[in-house]
Amino acid sequence: MKRMGVSALLALSLVGSAAAHRLDEYLQATLIGVTPAGIDVEIHLTPGVAMLPVLMAVIDQDGDGRISPEEERAYAGRVAREVELRVDGVAAPLWLTESNFPTLEAMREGLGTIRMKLHTARSGHALHFENRHLPQVSVYLVNCLAAPSDGLVVRRQKRDEAQRSIEFEYSFGAGTEAGPRAAWIALGPFWPAAIGIIMLVARMAVLIYRTKHDKRESRYSRVRSL
Amino acid sequence: MVKTTVLGSSKSSLLVAVLCCGLAPAQSSSSVASTIVASANGFLSLLDEGQRSKVLFEFNDAAQRTKWSNLPTTMVPRAGLKMGDLSGPQRKAAMGLLAAALSNRGYEKVLAIVEGDEVLRAAGGGGGAMFGRDLFYISILGKPSVKDPWMVQFGGHHLALNITMAGFDGILTPSLTAAQPAKYTVDGKTVRPLGAENDKAFALINALDEGQRKQAILNYKVADLVLGPGQDGKTIQPEGIKCSAMNGSQQAMLLDLVGEWAGIVNEPAAAARMAEIKADLSETWFAWSGPTTNGMPAYYRIQGPTVVIEYAPQPLGGDPTMHIHTIYRDPTNDYGKKSVGRLVPSR
Repeated sequence: MKRMGVSALLALSLVGSAAAHRLDEYLQATLIGVTPAGIDVEIHLTPGVAMLPVLMAVIDQDGDGRISPEEERAYAGRVAREVELRVDGVAAPLWLTESNFPTLEAMREGLGTIRMKLHTARSGHALHFENRHLPQVSVYLVNCLAAPSDGLVVRRQKRDEAQRSIEFEYSFGAGTEAGPRAAWIALGPFWPAAIGIIMLVARMAVLIYRTKHDKRESRYSRVRSL
Repeated sequence: MVKTTVLGSSKSSLLVAVLCCGLAPAQSSSSVASTIVASANGFLSLLDEGQRSKVLFEFNDAAQRTKWSNLPTTMVPRAGLKMGDLSGPQRKAAMGLLAAALSNRGYEKVLAIVEGDEVLRAAGGGGGAMFGRDLFYISILGKPSVKDPWMVQFGGHHLALNITMAGFDGILTPSLTAAQPAKYTVDGKTVRPLGAENDKAFALINALDEGQRKQAILNYKVADLVLGPGQDGKTIQPEGIKCSAMNGSQQAMLLDLVGEWAGIVNEPAAAARMAEIKADLSETWFAWSGPTTNGMPAYYRIQGPTVVIEYAPQPLGGDPTMHIHTIYRDPTNDYGKKSVGRLVPSR
């Protein structure tokens, strides 16, 4: 290996592991995936070394210094409640589909990341996402994933300065067919009317069948009477 | 706002020609690929059986392929052979393999990053136990060959090189370069491992006119890499200014900046990569977050159909300009997936 003889070192004011990782911030990085079948939200939460006591005060409800599965679920639920997604101006409930917690040791060293996945079946044309979880101690990243295979076109991305929120308009290019699930979801607001139409069509089919059946019966009865 | 066709002016063409000359293949890709294979086999021949079993992995070992990080190896353990565990000749051969796979300037950049970690160790960062040139790892996936795909990984704290060889092609994506300290002195000489990445970007943002800067500069802070380690296979919506809205000179500056990553790999591979990125330049975006005065911490991203580059100063309890993370990806060809797919199996 080519070696460079280090003759003079900078006076580096580095303290322990803080040299390598996040220190006093809670990084909340969100990626939003928009598909014709709904919206996926993936949140990665990485507490800095100095942030862990603050976070533990939130998560470790019984104060035993550990994070139990129940406390994990409760915390993930809290995060899910403190983010908001609106599609076409209407609140779209996000369901927690997955959450993974790192070891406490990893978080103590500032390299543990809590990973959460949320989903809504709603889709539309304009999206607004906002993260209101622990704003006093957090820094945020929020981005929309590109999805060329779905023909996704995103327009007019807007964020606040801290990246706590994002909004944009979107559409799916020509040739992109919404799958059966997407058609199912897209019908959502019109279900009462759709059911009514289905019942009407069914009623008409029954009436047509009965009319034909009655005619056939009368024809048969005429034939039998001959 | 100045609008021109992509690299349409003769001045810009000249500039790009000069840039490409800097990356022009002095040797053919076939001879370079053969040299890299010979270097790999030379390194492997110096290892005992136990070491070989540690350094060699199946080419399709997805877990090993994606096991890289910006974090110290004491926190995110890497597999492979540790530099500190190699004998002098073995270590020299390992670095020889790296030198063969990279360009001269790429190799120098890598050495400067590794040496920066040694500076960190000597200064007592992390108690000194988690940093230093001995804590970098090398691994080889697949059998070195000019016909079949294989891969060299070299990395540790603030460095992850993933070099996929697919026939005569060399692919460097995804790779992570970083620096802490971003500036140090060696024998009285100042070393800035990622200094060009910083200075060329500030030159570019300041070469844009007011209207262009308004497009390029994001109205929000970016605290970290968006597509860093663990984000394989993801691409985000591009933002900032499209290169088709830049004049030829500005486009040439952007290509020169891209060359700081694309030019790390050996010259023939770098020339092919630059040509690929240049071909998509009109669809490439440049986004900036932060002040535009050189010396201040600013994030930027270059994103096109086949390239994503991010440069992110890290506000981790110190001067962000002294701690930089960068990522270099090709959404279409990370780990050489496209190039490997083009190979005709030799067996």
